[in-house]
Amino acid sequence: MGFSMNKRRFIKKSRLTRTSRLAGLTLLVALLALVPLATFAETLPISEANKILKELDMTSNFTDKDFSALFTIVSEKPGEKQTVTQARVFRRDAKKQFTILIMLPEVNKGQGYLTEGDNLWFYDPSSRKFSHSSIKENLQNTKAKNADFKSSSLSDDYSIAAVTDGKLGNFNVWIFDLSAKNNEVPYDKLKLYVRKDKHMILKREDYAVNGRLMRTTLIPKYVELDGKLLASQILIIDEINKGEKSQITMTEQSVDKLPDKVFTKAFLEQVNR
Amino acid sequence: MNFVIPRIAFRNLSRQKKRSILLGSAIAFGIMIVTLMNGFSGALIQNISENFAYLMAGHVFIQGQERTPSGKKVSVISDDSEIMQALKSSGVQYTQATRTSEISASLIFEGKTVRQTLTGIEMDTNPFLRQRLVLKQGSWASVSQPDALILTEKVAKKLKVQIGDKIIASLQTVTGQNNIADFTLVGISTDTDLATSTMAYVNLGYLNQAIGLKPTEYMSLGLMLDDMRQATPAADKILVALKSQGLQTFPRGATDGSGNQTPFQVLLQNQNEETWNGIKYRVYTIDDLMSSAKNIVTALDTGTFIVLIILFAIIMIGINNTFRMTMYERIKEIGTMRAIGVQRNEVRRLFLFEALFLALGGIVAGLGLGFIVMNLLSLINFGTNSPAFLLLKNGHLSFYLPPLRALLNIGTIVVLTLLAALFPANSAAKLEPAVALRSTK
Repeated sequence: MGFSMNKRRFIKKSRLTRTSRLAGLTLLVALLALVPLATFAETLPISEANKILKELDMTSNFTDKDFSALFTIVSEKPGEKQTVTQARVFRRDAKKQFTILIMLPEVNKGQGYLTEGDNLWFYDPSSRKFSHSSIKENLQNTKAKNADFKSSSLSDDYSIAAVTDGKLGNFNVWIFDLSAKNNEVPYDKLKLYVRKDKHMILKREDYAVNGRLMRTTLIPKYVELDGKLLASQILIIDEINKGEKSQITMTEQSVDKLPDKVFTKAFLEQVNR
Repeated sequence: MNFVIPRIAFRNLSRQKKRSILLGSAIAFGIMIVTLMNGFSGALIQNISENFAYLMAGHVFIQGQERTPSGKKVSVISDDSEIMQALKSSGVQYTQATRTSEISASLIFEGKTVRQTLTGIEMDTNPFLRQRLVLKQGSWASVSQPDALILTEKVAKKLKVQIGDKIIASLQTVTGQNNIADFTLVGISTDTDLATSTMAYVNLGYLNQAIGLKPTEYMSLGLMLDDMRQATPAADKILVALKSQGLQTFPRGATDGSGNQTPFQVLLQNQNEETWNGIKYRVYTIDDLMSSAKNIVTALDTGTFIVLIILFAIIMIGINNTFRMTMYERIKEIGTMRAIGVQRNEVRRLFLFEALFLALGGIVAGLGLGFIVMNLLSLINFGTNSPAFLLLKNGHLSFYLPPLRALLNIGTIVVLTLLAALFPANSAAKLEPAVALRSTK
């Protein structure tokens, strides 16, 4: 009797032990499985992140040369015909100057934008008058902002709130969460998807003050010019007006020296004579 | 006073009825045209000012401009307790004070977009809206919900929205950042006029939140006075009171000398050139905004006067010829009068009195005709949806003939008519009695 009781107790104890061991083993395996993941999820120190942000500015700005290019913007709105806007952009990043001259459509040909100090002027050749515009306004009837054509100043205008690890298609990316440092930028918050291997922005999300996504910009193609990386194809998607988007293509890029008068009001007036 | 000559003059006019009526009609026609033009321009500025005051809910406005540390200027009144104190001390009586914030926004609904001015106003407490809007759909009871939105019928049709629909507003904050706000359509108002068709009304606190202002802040304080004509003196008093409260203010009444800009535009320009810290207030009236319209009215009045001169120069030629003919017809009569002792200057006065009575008759007839036509024209209802609604009073043409203007016109016509008759009158006066009696003309 005693033996059978002991036997039963022994069997019960063995079963318990086996169960516990099994549970423990499972836990260990699970922990081991997690560890590799934990060790593979990269973190980026803020100092490194700031360096990358600065690098993004540096690789797209020409500090000692002038830059000009032709931008063709094809805009789509549901239920409407496609519109094509063509603009020639002239930049002198060292002095934070830029001029935009509208080439197409014909009806808007000759219109232009010009920075003068902190002011952005819009020139209308039909009235021959300059009026105040804003870097935050849309370029003509497209989804592009005037600010999209000036030199990059992400590191000056934004601070990094967080950086996370992520994937965009086949690319491993850093996802930068940026908050505006000043009121000079059109969007209060940005999210940048930056390739880890070669620091290039693949995607950008622009957020409203209340945190709503307003605009998504995809940059599938870059071109190298004079050691700089320039987005040669950009797709801007309006997240509020569903179906509206603009595709920007950059051609005829050049770093030839531009005459000083290109960055004056007289230039826009003269071009239209 | 000798009334014989005037009585003879009047009798002479009555003898030649056809001629007198024709000449008088020409004068009357000229007076009627000029009266209509003066009447229209006289009411024009009043109508425009009243209509604008109605739209903007005020005759006098106070706005604050804050200069941020970065140098940006933001339209805001943060704390109006000092303004209200200043209003009290100024002694200005107003019937209504309306706090508003305004921003341009794109209203988006299911792929459709309409650009509108969002006017933030205390919808549940301010009577301004209920006095101006008639809700065709929806209810005033719903305006108290924070995200309430009232659109006009036209805009609601464009967006194809119904009561209860959620509409997205894409706008910019006061510092220019892009933002999104969601609204619920609680009311659709009838289209009252062309200008309000671009205005959508929302709650002030909710709009402030969307544009980066605090719930208690706002952009503009509009004061409605009992009498619009008191706007300028009231604004001056308020400015003095604000200054005495220690508040920074922009000066009033500046002009650019050339008259190309309204006082309000000069005020804005001066403000752009100035630098200051904190909030600085500007006080302006509906008149300051309307001064360019006043320039148009002045130009219209000047043009009318020139028309009057030209018209009467033509009429004068006719009067001159007619009196010359009259003189030749009445040579024997003049000779007889001179022979029985009527003096030269009395003969001259006779002709001049005839001209005077002709002018006065034409003036009275012309003014009468003018008033009849004005009354008839003011019966036409152009509707408040007409593009010219600003010029109209409740959709009707209105006229106001300033008394001084009328007197000037009358005086001018009298002088011109007398001038026209002067030369024949002088010729008649110079006739020798014997020569006149012997004449076979």
